[in-house]
Amino acid sequence: MSDYIIETYDLTKKYGSQTSVSHLNIHVRKGRIYGLLGRNGAGKTTAMRMLLGLTAPTSGEVKIFGRPFLENQKKILPRIGCLIESPGFYPNLTGTENLKIFAALRGLKNPDYIKNALELVNLPYRDKKLFSQYSLGMKQRLAIALAVMHNPELLILDEPINGLDPIGIAEMRGFIRELCDTGGKTILISSHILSEISLLADDVGIIDHGKLLEEESLKELEAKNTKFIHFCVSDARKAAQIIAMAFQSRNIRFADANNLYLYDTALPVAKINCTLVEAGIDVQEARLCEDTLEDYFRKITGGEGIA
Amino acid sequence: MLNLIRCEFWKLKRKMFVQMVLAASFLFPLPLTAIICYLNIVQDKYSTKEAAFDALWQSVIGFGMLLLLPCILGIIAALLFFMERDNDTFKNLRTIPVTSSQMVIAKCIVLLLLSIVFCVSSTVASVLSGFAFFGASDILFKVLFSAVYGLLIAISALPLVLLIIFFSRSYIFSIMLCVFYSVFNLFSTFSLTALPKWLVFTLPAPSIMLWGTQQTASRIAVNDTEDFRNFIEMGLIPSTSQLILTLGVIGAVSLLLAVWLYKKRSE
Repeated sequence: MSDYIIETYDLTKKYGSQTSVSHLNIHVRKGRIYGLLGRNGAGKTTAMRMLLGLTAPTSGEVKIFGRPFLENQKKILPRIGCLIESPGFYPNLTGTENLKIFAALRGLKNPDYIKNALELVNLPYRDKKLFSQYSLGMKQRLAIALAVMHNPELLILDEPINGLDPIGIAEMRGFIRELCDTGGKTILISSHILSEISLLADDVGIIDHGKLLEEESLKELEAKNTKFIHFCVSDARKAAQIIAMAFQSRNIRFADANNLYLYDTALPVAKINCTLVEAGIDVQEARLCEDTLEDYFRKITGGEGIA
Repeated sequence: MLNLIRCEFWKLKRKMFVQMVLAASFLFPLPLTAIICYLNIVQDKYSTKEAAFDALWQSVIGFGMLLLLPCILGIIAALLFFMERDNDTFKNLRTIPVTSSQMVIAKCIVLLLLSIVFCVSSTVASVLSGFAFFGASDILFKVLFSAVYGLLIAISALPLVLLIIFFSRSYIFSIMLCVFYSVFNLFSTFSLTALPKWLVFTLPAPSIMLWGTQQTASRIAVNDTEDFRNFIEMGLIPSTSQLILTLGVIGAVSLLLAVWLYKKRSE
């Protein structure tokens, strides 16, 4: 049996002539956090809606827990917890009353399910505050409580940190990490905030204009990032000739008359520095640099960066 | 399904309109009691106290149940059916999973139950008024028959539910639609003799009114005996099987189309 909890095969969604998701093939491994990264409008939410049966795909197939989703929706959905787009609850009811409705529909009779879920996200049980009076952060936390209330094996969370303050974001990050590490849950999370994905995900899928451009583990992705030594010197051309002669390296690029990049990062920086100074070249700066995930994202999407 | 219906009632918690409707069903017979009392004292219209009470009950049926109730049910239907769209809760229900047809059926059952509660509480209020001002008689029959009215009126309001889902606009538009539906019912009831027979049998509200009057005629003093005799002579009174067929077809078609539309709209 496959090790993947979610697999999609050429999943495509078209709205008229516009293709929202095109031939998406994602693979979410068991017990890991998969970060779906993309700009706003890249197709992340549509892809997640298709995974949950909320939007019918134009073509392609979804397999969840190794089974075709369409034919096994009734068996698969109770094993999934989700948060899609903004939190949706009844404004005339309290948080507890809202969860009570969904618990009843899920067949969860023990009120402890509601109590525990609210405790997990630091919301009070049986509070009198109506959902309409909740702050954006509280609404988001209630949505997370709803997603985890029935103890699902798989969580599909679409931009779960939206509306949270910095402390709330850090708490939510820790909470999601803990769900995966100690709870053993598989989590698919989408975000347009690159730093969040890099801090949280084990595997990353980069989606742009509905297409999956890259799918790798964060470690593999980080290994792909370009590393170089940046020298800021009085004469970059002369410095390049000296480095090439003394250290047998031609892997050098000029930025301008004073800046050059050496891509052989294994070479000894201190020794190069000494050699340049001895040759009468002033060295203002010499430091090891690495492309960020954002640079990589910019490179593979062939355009602008991301938040 | 029972769970779903219970949840639909929970969702209506703190909804003032529903509470007001239930209160109105109880208060509505009061002004009618005053009118009947006035007619009885000034015009000496009713031969017995029981006849005055029967007149009150028929007024409650005519104005409260047949005229007002479809309009109220339409507004409650708008509340129920727009709830998931307005609060974006549809996705939460679909991922449980609850299907669109289950949702539509549960909401329609809630409408039906509220309709029965409205009719029964109107009759109970009439009985209390009857005890206070007239002489209440045949109470159990009246209460049970009002429950039947509630059931039939709820089914007759299903085309309105379908229209509300079809247009899926604002609450104000839905209220206008409900008022139009009630006025249409009122006009069609007042112009029964001018309408072709097939149309009278097809229109749900006049059919329910005519059928109900015939069913109760043997046990109560009918208000407008002459009109009623005319309707019988013209063959406008539907039989029980005709009424079941008419309402059954209207209800089934409306429900099926409502499920189809609701499913389509939710995607």
